[in-house]
Amino acid sequence: MISFQSVTFSYPGADRPAIQDVDLVIAEGMLALVCGLSGSGKSTLLRCINGLVPHFSGGTLRGAIRIAGLDPVQESPNMMSRHVGFVFQDPESQFVVDRVEDEIAFALENAAMPVDEMHTRVEVAMDMLKLTPLRNRSLDNLSGGEKQRVALASALVLKPNILVLDEPTSQLDAGSADELLQLLVQLKGEHNLTVILAEHRLERILPYTDQMIYLDKSVPGVLSGRPRDILSLISLGPPVVKLANRFGWEPKPLGVEEAKKFISTSIINPIKKVSFSSESNYKQPYIQVSDLDIHIGTKQILDGINLNLFPGEILVLMGPNGAGKSTLLRSIVGLQPINSGSISVANQSISGKHVSDICQKVGYLPQDPNALLFAESVSEELQITIHNHHLNPDDMHPDELLRFLGISEKRDSYPRDLSVGEKQRVALAAITITQPGAIILDEPTRGLDYEAKQDLITLLKIWCAEGMGVLLVTHDVEMAAATADRIALIDQGRITAVGDPVEVSASSGLFSPQITLLFPGSGWLTPEDVTL
Amino acid sequence: MLPKSIRLSSIAIYSATFILGVLSLLYPFISSAIVQNTPTGQAGFGHTPLMLTVLLSLSLVVLIYEVQGQVNTKVIALLGVLIAINASLRFIEVGIPGPGGFSPIFLLIILAGYLYGGRFGFLLGALTMLVSALVTGGVGPWLPSQMFAAGWVGMSAPILRPFVQRTSSYSNSKNQSSRIELLALILFGFFWGFLYGVIMNLWSWPYFVDPVGQYGSQGISTIELISRYTSYYLLSSFFWDLSRAFGTALLLFAFGIPILSVLRRFLHKLTFQHDQTNLQEHQFQAAIETVLKDSIHIPQ
Amino acid sequence: MINTWTWFIWIAAVLIALSVTRNPLYIILILLCLFLLDTQLALKSRITNGADDNRSIPVSPFRIALMLITLSAVFNAAISHYGETVLFSLPTSFPLIGGSITVEAFVYGALNGLVLFGIFYAFFILNRALSVRRLIRVIPRAFYPVAVVTSIAITFIPNTIRQYHQIREAQSVRGHRMRGIRDWLPLLIPLLTGGLERALSLSESMSARGLAASTANQEVWWGRIMVLFGLLLLLIGWILTLFTDWLLFGSLLLISGIGLLLIVLWLIGRSTPHSTYILEKWTWQDALILSGVAAVISALLFPLPFIDKETLHYEVYPTMHLPGFDPFIGILLLGLLMPAILIYISNISVQE
Repeated sequence: MISFQSVTFSYPGADRPAIQDVDLVIAEGMLALVCGLSGSGKSTLLRCINGLVPHFSGGTLRGAIRIAGLDPVQESPNMMSRHVGFVFQDPESQFVVDRVEDEIAFALENAAMPVDEMHTRVEVAMDMLKLTPLRNRSLDNLSGGEKQRVALASALVLKPNILVLDEPTSQLDAGSADELLQLLVQLKGEHNLTVILAEHRLERILPYTDQMIYLDKSVPGVLSGRPRDILSLISLGPPVVKLANRFGWEPKPLGVEEAKKFISTSIINPIKKVSFSSESNYKQPYIQVSDLDIHIGTKQILDGINLNLFPGEILVLMGPNGAGKSTLLRSIVGLQPINSGSISVANQSISGKHVSDICQKVGYLPQDPNALLFAESVSEELQITIHNHHLNPDDMHPDELLRFLGISEKRDSYPRDLSVGEKQRVALAAITITQPGAIILDEPTRGLDYEAKQDLITLLKIWCAEGMGVLLVTHDVEMAAATADRIALIDQGRITAVGDPVEVSASSGLFSPQITLLFPGSGWLTPEDVTL
Repeated sequence: MLPKSIRLSSIAIYSATFILGVLSLLYPFISSAIVQNTPTGQAGFGHTPLMLTVLLSLSLVVLIYEVQGQVNTKVIALLGVLIAINASLRFIEVGIPGPGGFSPIFLLIILAGYLYGGRFGFLLGALTMLVSALVTGGVGPWLPSQMFAAGWVGMSAPILRPFVQRTSSYSNSKNQSSRIELLALILFGFFWGFLYGVIMNLWSWPYFVDPVGQYGSQGISTIELISRYTSYYLLSSFFWDLSRAFGTALLLFAFGIPILSVLRRFLHKLTFQHDQTNLQEHQFQAAIETVLKDSIHIPQ
Repeated sequence: MINTWTWFIWIAAVLIALSVTRNPLYIILILLCLFLLDTQLALKSRITNGADDNRSIPVSPFRIALMLITLSAVFNAAISHYGETVLFSLPTSFPLIGGSITVEAFVYGALNGLVLFGIFYAFFILNRALSVRRLIRVIPRAFYPVAVVTSIAITFIPNTIRQYHQIREAQSVRGHRMRGIRDWLPLLIPLLTGGLERALSLSESMSARGLAASTANQEVWWGRIMVLFGLLLLLIGWILTLFTDWLLFGSLLLISGIGLLLIVLWLIGRSTPHSTYILEKWTWQDALILSGVAAVISALLFPLPFIDKETLHYEVYPTMHLPGFDPFIGILLLGLLMPAILIYISNISVQE
């Protein structure tokens, strides 16, 4: 059993507590889902369970914590490691050794376990997480999902009763994320684990959740209880829950299957959503990709790609991993040399142009905004871009842009200390200060919470209404449903479908938001579309 | 053991390894006059270059043992990552361009040693050399002296602190660097650019020239030996070292202040203290019961 | 699979052999053993990996040999002017190199270069034979923090390089171009900051998996005293052998100092609460190699009745003469060939 009694914790030098007056009990064998916006104290709460808070972080802790009868504040994280397994957010930065098998053994070596038992346990752990075929592989060559499976195995190999996971899927694509969560549910059942999971991706995990814990930074304490009860009190939730809130369905459905009970076929009145977005509605494409072929080494990555981006539209590009999405984006801004075909931006061919000249016309937001940020303050970041492009500082309006992006209060902050969402805003500011006619975003929703995602959607829609073209690559089906004017699907280097989201979703299983699954053939994509 | 005696034994170990290290490098100068005195006139057991390398390795091993005693997991992770960055600088395209003996690794070793202390600097320097040798297949008898020399670079960097403190309003917590601080670091980097070469030459001299075997049997004065070493040094690596010294100074000039500010920002995350106010056990039991009663729902 | 420690003992024997003799015939024999081993190892890595080891040095060892020998010969001739067969004389007014240039000094330098190449070649082979992982695994338990640091660094190098390329792309996207040295800043700072942030999450992950915060160093107080004592023994012993006539006594102190240090570090390692996942086994192959090593050592260091040890000491100065050769020593030196034979056998069995 895990119990917190009036626990309040502040980080060193912080002016307010990260968590305050937390009273919480998690019984054995539960799957507890911890949710809340970024900065609400989810990570802090989880780290209290194995003593990383306060042993690792420093700071002031008040109140009492008991984990399976132990006090993690008295014990060290070292001792707690035998009772609590911990999986972290970033698969890139939790490994000590570069080989799968050795990495899993690391915790056992620290526990001074006899060699024979070590080998048995490593075998069992690898078997549990289906890692045995990968045992000799270098961690560097694994996919994000495989890496997280190794992290999970490394945590489970000490046979803890409690498993804590801090947003383990936030850096993964949708497919691997679902797979990981599925595996987690299965493991929990087989090994009678108590699982505490912080997660933004509620769709998949909600049906299996026993207990939901909600944190809010403006309210002390936590809300804890059955998911159905908590979901009616808070604004977070997957589309079916939002729909249920709107129409007052009780008890709340947690997944598409449960929601189907509330829909009597008679009330469905399929209306084809009026499509505004066939290509003929636009005159002149801003970005034009024709017959593009790209080989890397002997491998053909892109094969005869034709794609246009028009001013004032949001085009969403979706496809499985390795389909060539990133290569296509990178070739548009000149980062990837092309073998044949042509790309033009604002009616000018990009061949022979330097990346920085192309990017003055097309803003490109890379997956990791951290790679962009290095200045001492947010406003300095903008000045650096202006300086890089030799633009006249008087023509630019950095303050206006920061205000538009809602980060003008942060103009003097150190960019690296901001939240994921704010960092993304700063990166967006740094690439759009040149007033490009289009922007390209590569997986912008990674690591964002619901609120930040909503803000991003609003922002993109405003830009789009002002006439900017937006090309968005994402695995996030609901994000695509909420934003797309057109959707293009890419597979094995070819565009397999392009056009109206409703039509594309009807023709392909790759793009099927919850609402479409719930009302097949209705032409609805988001809860707002639904009219009953 | 009492903290005081730990401190004392620690100082003793540092001194002994330092003396041993210096002695094994300067040994040809000292011993030349001696060899003729030995009964056979033959260079014996303690005199072969490899034996010197063995002694140097041993004192290095003891020094590392002593220094590593202070590290915690944060320092371990930080060292690992910084070493990876240092070693990667070699692989990044052309690296940071430069001729001859130029090497970008001293930049981080000096700055981190200066801010995070001599032990950290020593481990960063010595282990950077070890890791570089491992990944490039460069493990060899030259490795211990490289590790020693690079370790000394980092270990000696905090010497600058009192100097900078006295001449300017230096403060470790303030996120600012002064001109004097930068100047001191640049001079320090320039100086070590040379000294590193001198040390590596002292190591390689017995291998290359075998001064004891060759000159010792002929009878040669220490002064004459020093002048021979000087000519060896000037011929073999002076210009090489010059480019290293200028390169390091240039890197410190160009990147010193921004890197220091990044490292300073991070300093407070490495050092902390926590205090706690816990409930007593009986209070806790009572409290748990109320929580159980009050919670919205305890799923079964 | 040959044990890592067997490799270390083998290379120690090669190094001892190379430092005991200056006789070019013996040296060439040793180099021949190394060469045969090198070719077998290259063949083995071609068989298993389908390609050459990517870790090996891009320059061929023979070019290095040529370079070392020439360099060393010319260098020595220019600096030391001993020997009686004078080729020509440089005016003594020449700074540094003035004086007579002799055949002996040339040959001495070339021999020295040959020995240097031997040392280099032996380590080149060691690097080829042992993977980075195996080298890290033999870091003794007393140095567990160092082993972890090294392991992390090796694990993070590919990661860091990938990071660097991402940063470079991201910066070029916002108009960054490389013009001068200052333009490295937008690349270095995110690399460093990102690295520091990673270090924090990594250390959390290590703590959560039970890596103890402090080592046994503080608790094992006797260790420190013994280490200090060992160092003193070593230092005094060495000084005695250098500055006095008490060679035997000094050497004895020196050796006991080294022994004490090794034993203490081993004991400290045993007392750290930590175990090792992969333990290497000793096999009959190791026994064969070690017996080969024993043959070499006995030929070189012990006074065997049927051996003419004078042939080991070859002195060029004052006048050049031909070196002697004792076939017994030659045969015993071939003990160094053992690993090459074993790998040859395994290569053949794999190919069939």
